[in-house]
Amino acid sequence: MKFRREGSLLVLVVLLSLLAMLFDSSFVPDNALDILINGIPTMIIACGVMLVIVTGEIDISVGSLLGLLAAMLGLLSSTVSPGLSVHPYLAILIVLTVGTLIGLGTGCLVVFGKVPSIIATLGLLIALDGVQDWLMGGGDIKHFPQQLRNLGTGTRIPVNLIIAVLVVIGTGLLCRKMAMGRRIYAVGSNPSAARVAGISEAKIKLFVFALTGLLTALAAILWVAKLGNVSTSTGAGLELKVVTCVVVGGVAIRGGRGHLLGVVLAVILITMIRTVLNFMDLGSEAVKWQRAIEGVMILVAVTSDHFTQQQQTGGSA
Amino acid sequence: MKKFAYEFVLLGLIGVVLASAAILDPLFLSQNVQLELSSEIWELGLLTLGMTLIIITAGIDLSVGSAMGLCSVSLGLCMHANLPAWLCGLVCLLTGLAAGAINGTLVAFIKVHPLLVTLATYGMYRGFAEGLQSATTNAPVDASDGIKSIVTGGFPVIPVLFTALAVWTAILLRRTAAGRGLYAIGHNEEAARFSGIPVARLKFLIYTYTGLLAALAAICYSARRSATAEAGMVLELDVISAVVVGGTSIYGGRGRLIGTLLGVLLIHETRQFVDWYWQRSELTLIVIGTLLILAVLGHRFLFSRNPQTQ
Amino acid sequence: MHKWFSLIQLFVVCGLVMGCGSSPESDTSDGASATSTNAGITIALLPKLKGISYFTSCAEGAKQAADELDNVELIYNGPTTASADKQAQMIDKWRLQGVDVIAVAANDPAVVSESLRKAQDAGITVITWDADAQAADRSFFVNQATAAAIGGGMVDVMANDLGGLDAAGDVAIISATATAANQNEWMQHMKTKLQSYPNLKLVATKFPGEDQNAAFQDSQDLIKKFPNLKGIFGISSVSFPGAAEAVKQAEKTGEILVTGLSTPKDMQPYVKGGEVKTVVLWNTLDLGYLTVYAAAAIRSGTLKPGATEFTAGRLGKKQISGDQILLGDVLLFTKDNIDQFDF
Repeated sequence: MKFRREGSLLVLVVLLSLLAMLFDSSFVPDNALDILINGIPTMIIACGVMLVIVTGEIDISVGSLLGLLAAMLGLLSSTVSPGLSVHPYLAILIVLTVGTLIGLGTGCLVVFGKVPSIIATLGLLIALDGVQDWLMGGGDIKHFPQQLRNLGTGTRIPVNLIIAVLVVIGTGLLCRKMAMGRRIYAVGSNPSAARVAGISEAKIKLFVFALTGLLTALAAILWVAKLGNVSTSTGAGLELKVVTCVVVGGVAIRGGRGHLLGVVLAVILITMIRTVLNFMDLGSEAVKWQRAIEGVMILVAVTSDHFTQQQQTGGSA
Repeated sequence: MKKFAYEFVLLGLIGVVLASAAILDPLFLSQNVQLELSSEIWELGLLTLGMTLIIITAGIDLSVGSAMGLCSVSLGLCMHANLPAWLCGLVCLLTGLAAGAINGTLVAFIKVHPLLVTLATYGMYRGFAEGLQSATTNAPVDASDGIKSIVTGGFPVIPVLFTALAVWTAILLRRTAAGRGLYAIGHNEEAARFSGIPVARLKFLIYTYTGLLAALAAICYSARRSATAEAGMVLELDVISAVVVGGTSIYGGRGRLIGTLLGVLLIHETRQFVDWYWQRSELTLIVIGTLLILAVLGHRFLFSRNPQTQ
Repeated sequence: MHKWFSLIQLFVVCGLVMGCGSSPESDTSDGASATSTNAGITIALLPKLKGISYFTSCAEGAKQAADELDNVELIYNGPTTASADKQAQMIDKWRLQGVDVIAVAANDPAVVSESLRKAQDAGITVITWDADAQAADRSFFVNQATAAAIGGGMVDVMANDLGGLDAAGDVAIISATATAANQNEWMQHMKTKLQSYPNLKLVATKFPGEDQNAAFQDSQDLIKKFPNLKGIFGISSVSFPGAAEAVKQAEKTGEILVTGLSTPKDMQPYVKGGEVKTVVLWNTLDLGYLTVYAAAAIRSGTLKPGATEFTAGRLGKKQISGDQILLGDVLLFTKDNIDQFDF
């Protein structure tokens, strides 16, 4: 069955919704939109990281990068000192460019420096975190111009959701319909064959890393637009969430395989877990175990799908 | 001699750090200071012993820090209940073994990719540690006198234990069939399996061993500070960094324990000196992250003739 | 092979040498190598964490004080996350570097205890500010408000804004992590205080950690789940703005009040907007200022244990109760006065 993983995820989403409805019968209509919106930064970045993992690499620096870019956006556009109060659209453009360049730089480290991507992005995770703290110099950044905030809140149309949907559709088209997408999967599933076929592994990998940088910048902008606040902890831990979503979504960690649909469902699932737990009357004692419960659920998800993959392919994945 | 070329580079880098210290603030190099600061090194060192074995098999363990926190909490609960020191320690060790065994079972027998398993247990163990602490004592637990006297008493238990384990791990890697088996797994797991190497068993054992080391690190930490769910927070990044800086390839099949130990020393001295002299936490993060990348770049540049296959 | 074994031997020897020295009982190191000369007092100011406005403003006040006192050198550094372990490491280094005073806002009294004690043993003056350590580990505590006053104060403020003793409705608390020591202490006192308002019901407590998005999501969910929700306590610097933003975006401004601890500047937009009626805090500039003055005075012997009051520069006379130097009362920031403050 081709969509076995997606099927299981969909079932889980439905089950969770039903569970939540036990506590609040109108759970779905009230919360669906908000859950989707809360998952936007994760979703956008997951599109990029998914492609990186498909090529056989990984990027765990996205959380720190988001934080850094958010801080940069803050410093550029905030109307209160130490903000430079640059025009919001210009600030957005700068942030998108810097994000892409950093992503490209990461790609260069991996492709030309031949630094294993897990190490390169681990180093960046640590270093960029330091840069973010240094840039922020000791306080939250607030007071963003309304034009920027409009991207996240305050208007009738959820602009950020539309942007996210466009990103997802775009990534989906890239994967399925465009030659670049086929090349990305080729590089991941069989690098030597791809090379023989004339595909430049270097170019593909540089592309996916740069794209991830761009998408992280976009996510940072939408994050700031929604919350209106940047702190030194902005973005912390996001990379783990993104990688979890990507692998739970069925993308093989060794590369070469995975559907975007699975990742989308995984993001929805993982975002909604928090809200479902919030709606269940957990009581003040149980709530302290929330993180443990989430961890167990992820472990189950990561392990059980391995069982289904085993049965499906009849061998080790 | 040429075999140890990279280790000499590491020694050289350590020398550079110490030389900079000599120029900028010689007080850093005084015996007293170095002795005092070395207390930070044992937990990191213990964890790198297991991590080296794991990375040599092309695996990884992101959950070591979280396991350390969980062990610390279990130790804390026992001390809080006034159990005798040996029993507290035993419970802590068992917790570590269990945590490692869970990882090991999933990686070795259920054959889930170690990155996925330990990514999940990273969150799970920390979550359980926090949940357990907030549901019981709701605060860190001071180390009991029994534990304190064992760890920080007259006899340097932890350094001796670490040295013994380091020597044992090194001998294991270099001189035993098991060690050769680990390298073989890292080079080519399928071929190793076909050669009759007990792949699953070896993998299970190294993750379990790492869990045990996490428990030892937890005891060390709890005696120095206190037993808390925050123990080992973010430490896994340092552990992986130290092993990789030490020359062990993340792709597996290559690496020496002496390299890891030098990697630990380099990261320790660098971090301590940057903290000492510039006193800006943000800067330390930037330096360590850059050091990690530069070390691997450098290793690549200086020593690799063949591109590593994945 | 031979070389390899000698390397191992070298390391074993190093390990034993280092190990033998690092146990405190057998540590025969002499006291702080730098003695405070009349030429200068070095004060190391250690916040809970570095990157938040609260502590940055304390540091500003501290710098003002250091400038006024002409023989004081101020060092300010802190961990980038609220890590007690990192604090302990910093304290150890300052001890070895021979500073004169270490002033700590402790993330956790138990974790930093040994480092503080060793610092005292080495002749360094140890005081605490903002968040106390164990009494035996420091000589004085510069206190702005007790946990009871903070926790109880927040509840009183909320109840007052909701209608006084008859205030009725559901309230929720959004904290940080489940193991955050200060938040946990405040919550205890909050729960006690809530008992004096029989019609206010605590319906939920959430732990979003330091994740702003999670704090926002939790607040959003609570607003939907509890239609009778009248107040949210955002008791961390991350959850307070997150909760206020959630109330704003849910268009419940005025219907649900948010309060918590924050610098007036940080929450000003929400106070103006009406999501927040009252912000609870104290003058953080003054807190840092007082800490430095106290540190210098204690070190130079001007302020001794047993004193009942103390003059701190522009702040005038401050009361001392036992070993606690009191800053003064909790300040409430509202629409009316929030513009007056520059922190």
